[in-house]
Amino acid sequence: MIRKLHKLAQRLKSSLWMLVVPPTVWALHFLFSYVYAAVRCAKSGSAEVIVDIRTGIAAATVVALLLVVAFGYIAWAQSRIQGDLPPYQDSTDEDRLRFLAVSTLLLAGLSFVAILFTALSAFVFEDCR
Amino acid sequence: MTGRNPDQPGIFKAISRALLRLAYGAAAALSGGCTGIQSAFSAFGIEAESTRALTWGMTAAATVITIGVLWLAWHAARAPAGRLDHQGGMRVILWLGAIGPTVLLTALLVSSLTKMRTLPTGADDLKIAVDGEQFWWRARYLPAGGQPVETANEIRVPVGHTVTFALTSPDVIHSFWIPGLAGKVDMIPGRTNDLVVRATRTGVYRGACAEFCGLSHARMAFDVVAMAPADFDRWLAGAARPAAGIDSPGRHLFEEYGCGGCHTIRGHAEDSTIGPDLTHVGSRLSLGAGTLPMTRDALSRFIRDPASVKPGALMPSFKDMPGKDADAISSYLAELR
Amino acid sequence: MSVAANTQPDQNDPAVRAAQEERLRAVWSPPRGLFLRWTDTNNNAVGIWYTLTAFGMLLFAGVLALIMRAQLAVPENDLVSASTFNQLFTLHGSMMMFLFAVPMFEAVSVLILPQLLGARDLPFPRLSAFGYWSFLIGGVFVAGSIFFDAAPDGGWFMYPPLSTEPSTAGIGADIWMLGLSFIEVSSIAAAVELIVGVLKCRPPGMRLNLMPLYAWYILVVAVMILFAFPPLIAGDILFEMERLLDWPFFDAKRGGDPLLWQHLFWIFGHPEVYIIFLPSIAIFAMVIPTFAQRHLLGYPWIVLAAVGTGFLSFGLWVHHMFATGMPNISLGFFSAASEAVAIPTAVQIFVFIATIWAGRVVWSTPMLYGAGSLAIFVIGGLTGVMVAAAPFDWQAHDTYFVVAHLHYVLIGGSVLPLFAGLYYYWPLVTAKKLSDRLGRIAFWMMFVGFNLGFFPMHISGLMGMPRRVYTYSEALGVGTLNLLSTLGAFLFAAGVAVVVVDLCLSPRRPRVPRNPWNAGTLEWLEFSQQENWGVRSVPLIESRYPLWDQPGFLRQVDEGRYFLPDAEEGYRELMITSVLDGRPLQVARIGGPTPIPMLAAIALGGVFILTTYHLYWSALASGLAALAVILWWLWTGTSLIPEKPEKHAGLGVVLPLYASGPASSGWWAMFITMIGDATAFAGLIFGYFFFWTVHADFPPEPLPGQAGPGAYWPMVALALILAGWVLTIAARETNARGRVGLARAALAVAAAATGTGGLAGLAGPWRAGLDPALHVYPAIVWVLVIWTAVHAAFGVVMQLFALARSLVGRMTPVYDGDVRNITVYGHFLALSALITFLVIGFFPRLA
Repeated sequence: MIRKLHKLAQRLKSSLWMLVVPPTVWALHFLFSYVYAAVRCAKSGSAEVIVDIRTGIAAATVVALLLVVAFGYIAWAQSRIQGDLPPYQDSTDEDRLRFLAVSTLLLAGLSFVAILFTALSAFVFEDCR
Repeated sequence: MTGRNPDQPGIFKAISRALLRLAYGAAAALSGGCTGIQSAFSAFGIEAESTRALTWGMTAAATVITIGVLWLAWHAARAPAGRLDHQGGMRVILWLGAIGPTVLLTALLVSSLTKMRTLPTGADDLKIAVDGEQFWWRARYLPAGGQPVETANEIRVPVGHTVTFALTSPDVIHSFWIPGLAGKVDMIPGRTNDLVVRATRTGVYRGACAEFCGLSHARMAFDVVAMAPADFDRWLAGAARPAAGIDSPGRHLFEEYGCGGCHTIRGHAEDSTIGPDLTHVGSRLSLGAGTLPMTRDALSRFIRDPASVKPGALMPSFKDMPGKDADAISSYLAELR
Repeated sequence: MSVAANTQPDQNDPAVRAAQEERLRAVWSPPRGLFLRWTDTNNNAVGIWYTLTAFGMLLFAGVLALIMRAQLAVPENDLVSASTFNQLFTLHGSMMMFLFAVPMFEAVSVLILPQLLGARDLPFPRLSAFGYWSFLIGGVFVAGSIFFDAAPDGGWFMYPPLSTEPSTAGIGADIWMLGLSFIEVSSIAAAVELIVGVLKCRPPGMRLNLMPLYAWYILVVAVMILFAFPPLIAGDILFEMERLLDWPFFDAKRGGDPLLWQHLFWIFGHPEVYIIFLPSIAIFAMVIPTFAQRHLLGYPWIVLAAVGTGFLSFGLWVHHMFATGMPNISLGFFSAASEAVAIPTAVQIFVFIATIWAGRVVWSTPMLYGAGSLAIFVIGGLTGVMVAAAPFDWQAHDTYFVVAHLHYVLIGGSVLPLFAGLYYYWPLVTAKKLSDRLGRIAFWMMFVGFNLGFFPMHISGLMGMPRRVYTYSEALGVGTLNLLSTLGAFLFAAGVAVVVVDLCLSPRRPRVPRNPWNAGTLEWLEFSQQENWGVRSVPLIESRYPLWDQPGFLRQVDEGRYFLPDAEEGYRELMITSVLDGRPLQVARIGGPTPIPMLAAIALGGVFILTTYHLYWSALASGLAALAVILWWLWTGTSLIPEKPEKHAGLGVVLPLYASGPASSGWWAMFITMIGDATAFAGLIFGYFFFWTVHADFPPEPLPGQAGPGAYWPMVALALILAGWVLTIAARETNARGRVGLARAALAVAAAATGTGGLAGLAGPWRAGLDPALHVYPAIVWVLVIWTAVHAAFGVVMQLFALARSLVGRMTPVYDGDVRNITVYGHFLALSALITFLVIGFFPRLA
């Protein structure tokens, strides 16, 4: 099972589009958190709305983190296919692929942290003030 | 450098004296000056004190980091080629460039987010509605269960009590900032923003408009007085009273020149609230939103040519007013205490 | 791509090579003559004009700052009036941002990007020239206003209502809004050019993992421009609608909201900081390996940093609005992103340190500037982390602390790296080195002056000195600090003056050999200023530092042993390669010298400038002239049918001379432009929903003048525009299958449908009698409809253009670039029509 997934991950070739998936996930999560909190706070006068906001953002955070981890995993799997050592600077298909994979992996790491940072805010504040 | 005549006058001495004076000035500004009347360092409120602690903490960390990074860069530049291999370089980038900053920033974020929480408020708290207007402040004190009291260009707060400012503006965006008390909050047309504060020390301080609002943005300040609660209650009761029954030539001139067309003096002229309320203007600490001292001369000057003191002020100029009329009105206003 | 043997010229024969060089020289020779020389479009010429103009703007805006510093030297000073002071700081900030920093990045990129990519020019040289002339016209218009006491005076962020109210803002506000909108349009043009340049014009073999880091940064920055500038353009549209027509977008009394402008401005404004900062760091990424004499360590980390910063920078904008009273939970999101963006920034710094550590540093003037800017930037970055913490920002915001912070960031992160780049690349452009001695003197003056000038501002800000004050009270106790700041500013300026002297002395200095720093990257192939063709032959790349790693590289390039060593047909030619791996795809022919870009810029500039003075009929005439010039440009200069289908590109490779659809650079240019256009549209839609979120009375009660537009007309309009879109696609498909007559008919009907669709869209609010001056709701509905109708009108022009091209035989079933490009436009038009008409037709029923 795991082995199969690993093979599948290696087959999905990294490209420029894949490079921007993890930060795009961050962007969507960020946008959702901001818009959802802003609209709910603006449209509801009561303090209980914070519970809804927290639930919504928690769910979005779990989804976003899973996506980032999935893409990070794909990138990691591809960065470990056969070939020479870093710094991946030869003019070969493998090096280009592994370079993109490593960059994607790093971006997945950054996006992971940034998503957690965003989520933090929802759990510090207890009202819409 | 031995053997130089200590009495020798000369350019070196002049320069060194000048430099010394500059250094003293800088040192004074750095140490003593930090406790100025409008300084975030001379905190007299809970929010400002907590922010000041955050400021010192971040400043210390930033200093250490700056020195560390520059030292490392210096060390790196002097290292012979190959001292650091590819693996080592990757470790430097990973640990110092990525993981280290992430840990520090997480700590900072947690501590700063928790410091953002608004103070708890109660129904009995004093509320002060402040409107920023070009280029002065309209303040209405709304004590729980009491009469609203309007005044201008001066804010007084009781120490130890939670006070909520309700901030807005009828014209352009201003920002309400009392550095010693709390951070700033914008005053935006069509919106009312709350700022919850609690003063901890009595004293006389100063606040200012922090959002660029036009020609006299630089001339839009105000005095802030933090008072013991009993003193504050006494003051508020006084401020709620109409002006004393004065019958001076100045009062007639005030009417004659149409000053009442904009200004209210409760008990004397109550037709309009376009300009600042002058009911107890003589008791205020300064004139023209923190621009001039509260003296008769300053009042006369302001009446005859407000634009020379505050460019763009909406009050019309009375340049043709005879000096003695202006002085009479000033005397009258100064008596309104 | 196919391979043919035995057809290559003999590059061993000097006579063959000389003949090739003669032809290349003739094709690439710049126009001469007093006027004609200004019709040049080659990146060498345009890049130099661009850079010099932007540098001039820096000096001008710097002088404005010195006047301000003189005014603030002592408390209660009266050197300049409040009115003059407000114009000074507004113009200083606006010029430094819009007329120096962004144009300078474009200028430097126009100048050196083709060299970095071993290309002969950028893919759309006429677009670069157009960008330059737009910049010059708009820049002179905005900067010159101060001599007429008419400069904008509302701060560089132009907050309404201060800047929209006729009683508080004069013509300066319109000069700012329209003059700079014009420049924003040219910036987006530059972004399109640079993205296509980096993705499609790399030399064969230059895969993504071998791209010079400068190109990575430029790619990221250009994409950022594409998403950052359009919201500001949307804001500009709303702003000018309010100024000129009294539509109340930002007027709270009529349902508007001043905060909408702040959102749109800062969605632009914060990425803007990184748009300025990243290209300068990109120069670092070129300079440091050269002087460490080794490859940059951690190449993927730089890609992480550039791409990561590019994304995160769009989640920071509200940290300029921390004091506006938004809920703390919202502020927290932005505070979090503002802290997170420090991570990729730290990564870059340590990449540079690790590279220096691993290599052996050759000390030089560029490295001195590099080291100085690192010291300054680290402090600016750390104070940035401080102001990202909201409680601290509530104190520091709009005080001199922020003035200090932003100058540490921008001078450390942008200006000093540019000076490093100046000393580094001067030999590339002029074949002369600048003086090391004067460079060092200037550096120390700037470094000491800068710190003396700006460090005290941290303290004066926290001691209560707000920004944008023309004077300050002695009671604040910040007099000494301000005197120090003034002294420092003048010392810094004197340092800049030394650099200027150095530049002026440069023509008298001896020539230096090619590649004087022994760098490893492609730009140093260039023989400065001797040949206009860029590279003798377009090389095959196998390394990140080919000059170091590929043996015999220089000689092979110079002997024309790589691609395109000749210009046998007499055209200016470029290699188009694939995005990921740099596989050769096409030989593209690009335009030569022509006055068209200049004329287009003059006509388009006329629209903006005449509108400023309310000369609407003249502005309309100028607009029609601009449209005519641009059509002339497209008709004579794009999608030209080559005289033969393919040619030998060298090394036995035969490449097509024509491409259409996604294989062509024109298609990508259209696609990228439309992404920017769609972002501006998203800004307007954001406005609609912003009003709904913050105001309970949006949409307002259906009183006369503010009820409507109903669903009927919007649905008619939508159906017609979608029909036009489907027919355009049909025209593309039938044309490709050789059914030319059918395709022409489809285009004609499509134009009719699209045009009537636009009119039907306008009919909605018109028939409902929506009065845009009454309330913000009718105003925003009108704006959305007008936006879509104007786009439909341009769609009609394009459909008729393609039809005309087909009728005269400039578009055929094989050479069908025109219809493919306008179909891309059609997709975006259909999308914006869909959103506009569904929102205005049905959202009022839901809300």
